[in-house]
Amino acid sequence: MAGEATSHRLDVKDLRVEVAGKEILKGVTLTLSSGELTALMGPNGSGKSTLAYALMGHPKYKVTHGTATIDGQDLLKMTVDKRSRAGLFLGFQYPQEVSGLSLSKFLWTAYMQRHTEKTANVKEYDATLKQHLTDVGMEENLLKRSLNEGFSGGEKKRVEVLQMTTLAPLFSILDEPDSGLDIDAVRAVGEAVAKFHREQGDRCGFLVITHYQRILKYLRPDRVHVMVDGVIALSGGRELAEELEAKGYDFVKVGVPGAA
Amino acid sequence: MELAEAPMSTSTPEITPLDYTRYDFKDPETYRLRIPKGLSREVVEQISKFKDEPAWMREYRLRAYDHFVERPVPDWGPKLDEIDFDAYTYYANPLLEGETKRKWEDLPADIKNTFEKLGIPKAEREFFGGVGAQYDSGTVYHKIREDLAAKGVIFTDTDTAVKEHPDLVRKYFGKVVPYNDNKFSALNSAVWSGGSFVYIPPGVDAGIPLQAYFRINAKNVGQFERTLIIADKGAKVHYLEGCLPVGEEVLVGDELAPIETLAEGRAVLNSDGRETTIEKTMVRPFDGELIGITPVSVGNAFQLTPEHPVLCVPREKVQVSRRTTRQLTDVDTRKLLATPPEFVPAGELRPGDFLHYPINRTEHDVPEIDSAALTVLGYYLAEGCVQKINGCEAVTFTFNIAETEYVERLSVAIHAMTGKHPWRIPQPEKHAVSVGVYSKELYAFCLTHAGKLAGGKRLSKTLMELPPSKQRVLLEAYYEGDGNVYERSGTVHRAMTISRQLAFQVQELQARQGVYATINVREPFDETMPDGRTISHRRMYIVYHQVGKRFQAVRRSGNAFLVPIRRIDRTPYRGNVHNFHVAGNNNTYLVKGFSVHNCTAPIYSTDSLHAAVVEVVAEPYAKLRYTTIQNWSKNVYNLVTKRAVAYENALVEWVDGNMGSKITMKYPSVYLRGRGSRADILSVAFASEGQIIDSGAKAVHSAPDTSSKIIAKSIAIRGGQTSYRGLLHVAPGATGVKAAVRCDALLPDETGRSDTYPYNEIHEEDATITHEAVVGKIGEEQIFYLMSRGLNESDAIHLILMGFLAEFAKELPVDYALELNRLIQLEMAGAVG
Repeated sequence: MAGEATSHRLDVKDLRVEVAGKEILKGVTLTLSSGELTALMGPNGSGKSTLAYALMGHPKYKVTHGTATIDGQDLLKMTVDKRSRAGLFLGFQYPQEVSGLSLSKFLWTAYMQRHTEKTANVKEYDATLKQHLTDVGMEENLLKRSLNEGFSGGEKKRVEVLQMTTLAPLFSILDEPDSGLDIDAVRAVGEAVAKFHREQGDRCGFLVITHYQRILKYLRPDRVHVMVDGVIALSGGRELAEELEAKGYDFVKVGVPGAA
Repeated sequence: MELAEAPMSTSTPEITPLDYTRYDFKDPETYRLRIPKGLSREVVEQISKFKDEPAWMREYRLRAYDHFVERPVPDWGPKLDEIDFDAYTYYANPLLEGETKRKWEDLPADIKNTFEKLGIPKAEREFFGGVGAQYDSGTVYHKIREDLAAKGVIFTDTDTAVKEHPDLVRKYFGKVVPYNDNKFSALNSAVWSGGSFVYIPPGVDAGIPLQAYFRINAKNVGQFERTLIIADKGAKVHYLEGCLPVGEEVLVGDELAPIETLAEGRAVLNSDGRETTIEKTMVRPFDGELIGITPVSVGNAFQLTPEHPVLCVPREKVQVSRRTTRQLTDVDTRKLLATPPEFVPAGELRPGDFLHYPINRTEHDVPEIDSAALTVLGYYLAEGCVQKINGCEAVTFTFNIAETEYVERLSVAIHAMTGKHPWRIPQPEKHAVSVGVYSKELYAFCLTHAGKLAGGKRLSKTLMELPPSKQRVLLEAYYEGDGNVYERSGTVHRAMTISRQLAFQVQELQARQGVYATINVREPFDETMPDGRTISHRRMYIVYHQVGKRFQAVRRSGNAFLVPIRRIDRTPYRGNVHNFHVAGNNNTYLVKGFSVHNCTAPIYSTDSLHAAVVEVVAEPYAKLRYTTIQNWSKNVYNLVTKRAVAYENALVEWVDGNMGSKITMKYPSVYLRGRGSRADILSVAFASEGQIIDSGAKAVHSAPDTSSKIIAKSIAIRGGQTSYRGLLHVAPGATGVKAAVRCDALLPDETGRSDTYPYNEIHEEDATITHEAVVGKIGEEQIFYLMSRGLNESDAIHLILMGFLAEFAKELPVDYALELNRLIQLEMAGAVG
């Protein structure tokens, strides 16, 4: 059932999102295409994570206006699990811990949501999983532990990447995969994502949310959007990230007419 | 498909109406000693007199009684105002005092039977180093393995201990839990009877657990056992108490549903194979053994309370002769078919009796579902899969590469249905060929009528009610996929599926074809491959029938099959049992396909009272674990004081599970009095409708370098309430204390409630205290997280719940852990939509 290598699109149009009655996103429009890596930057509280959660369908994030589609399918009408099975993945900034549920059981259960008993290949799964573990620099014994429970910040982020590579989504949104990591861990996560990006070639599109330019060294984004106060205030190429790093976000607020 | 040549009679014998007066489900309440209900000084004195106690104990009881009278009911926690202390019987003993037996054979027959049915003598032989059994107030049995006794281990009832080990008892009794600790410890101290006394001498490791069973049999009898456990220096012991229940399923035409989840107005089948509706559902607490009935089709095994009437033909009425040399005598088929089935209480059934399996005769034709559609569905059940490929609905099928004939037949049928030509993609590396078609309509049709994923395949009610001639088309296609045929004294037809639902439905469809197919179960197992990999095989249901076999164990009689019982067993159960009235004067329904009458047992509406005191002493370097699983019926007030004292470097562990009862108040405590002593308290509360479980833990550190770990987990659903009430006390001078408290509450639906009341009294600054409480969360973020990985809501909740209890479950003996999972699953089945 492997899909042919057609190009996929995730289109977000004029998306407005409320959280607890307060409008956080005030009309966001962006497009992700398979094979491309987009970075979404911006100061704290600008609405970057809100966009991620709203697209994944968190019940507290209420879409009041606008559309979001994958290849024309209305994402907003789907339950969370259906969005996942339609090819959307969210790498959480703060992954949940599930006590008593082993990482290996969880990965297998999630994997089986995308396969039937007949299409699943245990041998292949094991081999790939082992490779993916190596890619993110994790030991196999981590699989036996409860999902994320007692994991260090770095381990949690690596496990998010591991889930992404296991589930092989069409679109992967990574919410601050670098936050709270030391330099080595940023490199490990960055390189693992980059490797997956390379391997998936034109199959998977990425949206990487980050404050900092450092993980982008490994990821080399095709496009950079800067979100300020719930709108995309500035867009540009890779060089924009470096400029931001040097000048800070204030220049965006000042430099862009109309940005709130 | 061929019809089985089951012997058949032409008319259905009339069914004799049920005689309601015959059944009584409790053991007859015959007591050698019984004090009339109500509580007074005289009652306390009388109890002491029966027991022929030393003066100190009598005086202790009376002091406790006075305190009980003065002490008000606690003004905190759940409301206990409704307890009428004069409504209970405080003492009822089936034996005379001092008559506690050491051989099961010495017990009065009815009591011996009760415990035998509960499987306790067997469990004693297999698993335990000692067993105690208490029946209302009286300890009826106590026995310890000889090798342990030889090492000086004492395991007896507390009454006996007062006489035989007066010094030990006097040294420890009431020292850990003084009578004036609380109102219920005072009550227990005044009227206590029975309970276990355990003493492990210095350095002795008791090894396998010692186990106690408690059972309230009589109405309104309180149980006030007193347990005292002493692990002397360096000794080790694990003490276990409790029981757990089970649930059963009813065949409701289109699916199997746990009986608890059926609501009034729901359709069920009666013994005529006609659909009727549930008029009234009833739940009652039950404490006793359940009768497990396994017919020759072992997959159809079911459980009932002993008084529950089951429609059957007793074998003794139809056997050829009264030969006793063989286990089962031959049956005169003509006689069997002529004998009308009758209602027999489940407890009186015997192996070989014939159960009544009616054939569902409900029939509604739906002309749109034609033979092409049924062919496609039949293949789909076996080999099909609905999926979205690049966002388009598709139905795909996987066949073995050699099954070209089936592929052809299916393709023709798909074309007839959808007007589309399905694709065929050979997959030589898997010796398979994949057949599929993009069709929104077919996708929806398969999903509606046959479910999805191998484990979730099932037939819609519409399909189950089609005329049998049409169903035959479906069966034929299905057996081509999932089935096989081979010769063994006739032709065997067999279909295998991991969907239990589907197995039962296929059985029912076969019955409508005139074939009684048996269901066998292949338990799940892990297979290790030569390369070291393990493959987990899921539980498999095998639907099986033979054509052309000369001897048939199952007979056709009119519109029913008569199916012999292969095995009967009895399991202890304490908890709710469910039952309902159905419309029409027949008042029968089917359990796993077999006819039973609605249940006739009385319902106790009054409450019972259980107020135990448990005192535990761990002398220096001792290790002691106390495990409790309580699942009292939901009308019991369970007010228990449990406390341990730990001396130097000793370890005390409480593992405490609370599922049943109306109100539970229980806070297992450890007083850490010796340097380096440790406490580990793991408590679980599960409260459902009408239940309040107020539990928690206390750790009192009064010595330096002591540590405690408290983990409290609670689940509250359907309006149930749980509370965590905990105390962490670090006394002045207790330096270097480490304490960790974690309380997690899970509220799977919106109706449960959970509160946390942690009290910390820390008098040393260097104490390391961690306190985590996660309360009131529905686990919404966790559910979102798991769902974001493609799991649907109920799968996500199930994984979280099982994970939530994993820590507790892994501390339980395996059978307890399995029952716990089962219980939770049943409780959750109705709770999460």
